[in-house]
Amino acid sequence: MDITALPESESAAPGGEAESPENVKKVEGRDPETVRLKRAYESEVEAKVASDHQHIVWAYGVIWVLFVGYGMLLWRRANAQRADLERLQKR
Amino acid sequence: MIKHRLPLLFFAVAALATPYSVQRIFLHTGIEKKMGTVQKIFYFHVPLAWIMMALGITCGVAAAIQLRKAATGRSRMAESLSIAAGELVLVTGLGVLITGPIWGHATWGRAWTWDARQVSTGLLWLVFAAFVLLRRYGAAGSERLAAALAVFGAVDVPVIYYAVKIWKTIHPQTTVVGSLPGSMWATLWLCVAAILPTCIALVWIRADQERSAMALDRAWIERDAAAATA
Repeated sequence: MDITALPESESAAPGGEAESPENVKKVEGRDPETVRLKRAYESEVEAKVASDHQHIVWAYGVIWVLFVGYGMLLWRRANAQRADLERLQKR
Repeated sequence: MIKHRLPLLFFAVAALATPYSVQRIFLHTGIEKKMGTVQKIFYFHVPLAWIMMALGITCGVAAAIQLRKAATGRSRMAESLSIAAGELVLVTGLGVLITGPIWGHATWGRAWTWDARQVSTGLLWLVFAAFVLLRRYGAAGSERLAAALAVFGAVDVPVIYYAVKIWKTIHPQTTVVGSLPGSMWATLWLCVAAILPTCIALVWIRADQERSAMALDRAWIERDAAAATA
């Protein structure tokens, strides 16, 4: 996890014992504004990908429903035709 | 006998190509930079549109043959083909007219923009809907009117194709397909290989059904005539 640099006044060691400047290692990281922007961008991307997936599922679903529906229509027509032929043959 | 098994062969090809094409779309083809994941609708939307246009032309040509041969006797082959292709134009057209706006909603922010290509595709669908309804519910003799309507519908196909070149539109240009990277191009053609055999098989079965219906009608008429004279 990235840690943002603390202000100088807060970087003192607990117990009031201030370390000498030579022993303090400077913490370098992203500033809060960059982190906030990064998180906002990530959530925007997440929302876009979720929305894209939703659109894709609808589009692909519609295509398969259409073809299956038409296939079922043809199957029903074939059954009706078969029944008609049987009626004709019986007479 | 082979004639009756050919649709099964086409369905078998589609049954193999379809899962593979879906796998390729989602696992082996990169995400397009500008549109993101939603661009993957393209792989089924575009082949459907191509097939819809090809079926529109097929229906128009078959209807023209039917009209030409009407004077010398009915061309049952052409007539049944025009009916079958006309119905499939409705199925594929509806697919194009629904998947396109879904894609548009995600990319442009609006499902329907009254774009020239959208309007001309909608017009094609309406003309073929009129053709199918006329064939289904029209009175005797309306098959010639329906055939003329199909020829008119086929004329709309070049309008759809050139709509993006002639009018100002936000719809992608026809050159987009030619400029695709290799992996996207291969996936697109794999999707064509999945949908086209399905459509051919369905047209084949429907045309066969129509010829059987015509033969049944003739048999009933002959039987009634024989019963009346007896």
